[in-house]
Amino acid sequence: MQRRTFVQGLGLAGLAGGLGLLPGMSFANPANAVSVDSLPKLKGDLTLYLGRGEGGLYENVLEAIKKKNPGLNLQIRRGATAELANMLVAEAKAGVKRADLFWAVDTGSIGMITNQGLAKPLPDDVVNQLKPGFQYPMWSPVTGRIRTLPYNTERVRADQIPDSVMALADTDLKLGWAPAYASFQSFVTAMRILEGEKATANWLKGVNSKAKKYAGELGVVMGVERGEVDLGFANHYYTLRLKAGKPDAKVDIAYTKNDAGCLVNASGIISLTEGDLPINFIRYLLTKEVQSYLATEANEIPLVAGVAPPVGLTPLSSISPPDLDLRKLADIRPTLDLMRNVGVL
Amino acid sequence: MKNLPKSYPFAIIIAVIAILPVGVLFSLASDNTAFFDTRNITVLLNTLALMGLTVLGAVLIGVPLALLSAYVNLPLKRLWLILFAAPLAMPSYLGAFTLYFSFGRGGEIESLTGLTTPSLEGVWGAGLVMTLYTYPFVMMTTRSALLSLDASQINAARTLGLSLAASIWRIVLPRVVNSIAAGALLAALYALSDFGTPAIMGLDTFTRVIFVEYNAFGLSQAAMLSLQLMLIVVLILFIESQIRGAKERPGKHIQIHMHPAKSLSFVGLFSPVILMSLVLPLGIFTLWLLQEGAEGFDIAYAWNSAYASMLAAVVAVILAIPVAHAAIAGRVGRFFERITYFGFGVPGIVMGTALVYLGLQIPVLYQTLGLLVIAYVLRFLPLAVSTVRSTTENQDGGLVNAARVLGASPKEAFLRVTLPLTARGMIAGAALVFLEVMRELPATLMLGPTGFETLATYLWRVYEAGYFGRAAVPGLCLVFISGLGLILMLTGERKAEFSVNESQHS
Repeated sequence: MQRRTFVQGLGLAGLAGGLGLLPGMSFANPANAVSVDSLPKLKGDLTLYLGRGEGGLYENVLEAIKKKNPGLNLQIRRGATAELANMLVAEAKAGVKRADLFWAVDTGSIGMITNQGLAKPLPDDVVNQLKPGFQYPMWSPVTGRIRTLPYNTERVRADQIPDSVMALADTDLKLGWAPAYASFQSFVTAMRILEGEKATANWLKGVNSKAKKYAGELGVVMGVERGEVDLGFANHYYTLRLKAGKPDAKVDIAYTKNDAGCLVNASGIISLTEGDLPINFIRYLLTKEVQSYLATEANEIPLVAGVAPPVGLTPLSSISPPDLDLRKLADIRPTLDLMRNVGVL
Repeated sequence: MKNLPKSYPFAIIIAVIAILPVGVLFSLASDNTAFFDTRNITVLLNTLALMGLTVLGAVLIGVPLALLSAYVNLPLKRLWLILFAAPLAMPSYLGAFTLYFSFGRGGEIESLTGLTTPSLEGVWGAGLVMTLYTYPFVMMTTRSALLSLDASQINAARTLGLSLAASIWRIVLPRVVNSIAAGALLAALYALSDFGTPAIMGLDTFTRVIFVEYNAFGLSQAAMLSLQLMLIVVLILFIESQIRGAKERPGKHIQIHMHPAKSLSFVGLFSPVILMSLVLPLGIFTLWLLQEGAEGFDIAYAWNSAYASMLAAVVAVILAIPVAHAAIAGRVGRFFERITYFGFGVPGIVMGTALVYLGLQIPVLYQTLGLLVIAYVLRFLPLAVSTVRSTTENQDGGLVNAARVLGASPKEAFLRVTLPLTARGMIAGAALVFLEVMRELPATLMLGPTGFETLATYLWRVYEAGYFGRAAVPGLCLVFISGLGLILMLTGERKAEFSVNESQHS
């Protein structure tokens, strides 16, 4: 339910972002999320590998944590998520250890590191803070993102958009997609799991015949906005960020129902070192303040139980993400083979 | 064996170090069985088409600009030279991105002026963008060779009634064809290894396929594809090595006197290049800056960029000297020199990964500025080698002999004759490396010390997240510092000119 209420308000979240709400301000009734003030002070050296910077927003969170914990010497290494994951594996093979934490934007990289046995288990009380469906023993989701269909409001009416993602293979609309983009590949992986290989292959072929390829999903959303295509496939936050910078943008978001088209994926963090410090750092990311901040400022979906989305949002019952174990999304190799076989990649 | 050129031992060591990352690629690729996928034929054709267009465009723009900046008495000559070299300061992916979103229906140009421009994409779009950001390679290598040419032949041709244009075509250009080829080679390798531009323009090239595999943890597939790409690199290197110019004696500097209005009209002819490669992206950034505001920028990023680039430029030039001399000394040396070019043809992300594996063998070096500088040098050494080589090649060997006859030791002859005469090439090479390092991204991200933020990494961070407004300040900073680098280089170049003139008068 929490996810739905947030999604309902996505359109307003950009506006709230513009108001510059500070962490901890004006968020209603966090039932069981922990406050930053109740956490122990962080002390010592900590190295974080941060996959994709997400602009200043993750940075702002990290700055705030540093400011609150003067005894913490936090070193941050940034890079594309897959790049850092490959680096961690290479370091482990060579017996060199530099990172204590790995914060990744996609579950594929998380799966790779946990499969290599590099992750340290999380205590139960950390795992239990997360919403059902997002509780994992070896890694902690931080925020969520939802697959959406951004569409051009001048070229398409909302009621022209089918509510099944599978139906888009037969649509007359001109589509835009970014098959090389990691989030898109996760979405195809979800489709493979939910609908099967054959249906997914047919869907890819169908869409490929009428879709324009973009390098990334920001490109997709911008292509939709400028009318190059009618409808695209993209993570939700690109549309919201575009609209935050350009309020009269001719783009809006549609959702499918209960299929891969509205998959909720997560960014996540892994502890690579035994001990309290990395775990306590993760606790900071799961506080109501940080979760609420990422929701308002980065338009990300809070995943800690009891963190409310920003005030002023009304529930929308028509959004229904599929029920899927996110760890399965790490199985990306068959997805790529499939995409290559049908000529999409 | 006694007469083995002195530069060979150094060149061998440098070549071996340069080939190490390729060795890593082989070991990474050994997990992979499939060598060539027939689906990659289209990718191969696209890659070759992009490379061909880039080389063609870079030569068509770079050579006339080199002539203009080397020979014509332009008003504000230095300013124009800096401006025309400035696209080197702009990361091509940022240029590609802003151009892509400026042109076409609904682009920024349309929303500002109401004029609909044709959209920029595919192989033509990618070729155009690549041209805009690689022609300075051709311009710089050609220019430094042009400056060492002797004017007497062209004067003779003119006296005998050949028109200026014809004498440039028949007398000047054939003598610098090796330098043009050296610049074209750099443009070709850049086109082969760049990821951002073809990706944004929606063109399937080797780098894009490599990137897709890499992101899906297909490290061995990515390594295998990179090795296939290396085959193209080998081919290009071979072709370029077949292009030879005649040996030249340096002499009186060529000057073409033109009415300022006429010479400026030539500059005007090429102004669209600057407009598209520089003014437009920076303008768009400024527009986004005004729309969204900037925050979070730290001037320390600029210092980090400049510092690392300077180190890399100095080290690259020092290493380039023996390699360039070896290349001139004989066929074997030429072979060593060719090997150092591999680094420039490998996509940065693959090179970065290979160097992570190498760096991990020496944990003391891993994630230090030292390793990062080594990485920069391995990637951009060819930039220094090609300029040093082309100026050294066009040098009169008689001068060294004269010095030796007059009693100078080989060392003294090198230090007092050869080195000052190649100073121009060294400075140009250092500047090219400096500019290229300033905008380098993948190796900086993967190999730099943890927390080491440069202008390029910061630009990437905000670009990735879609906060374009914040790219404006670092983007302007990058262009500004690179401009300073260019000015420094040109000041050094002028000093080198004087020393040549003095040696003529005395």
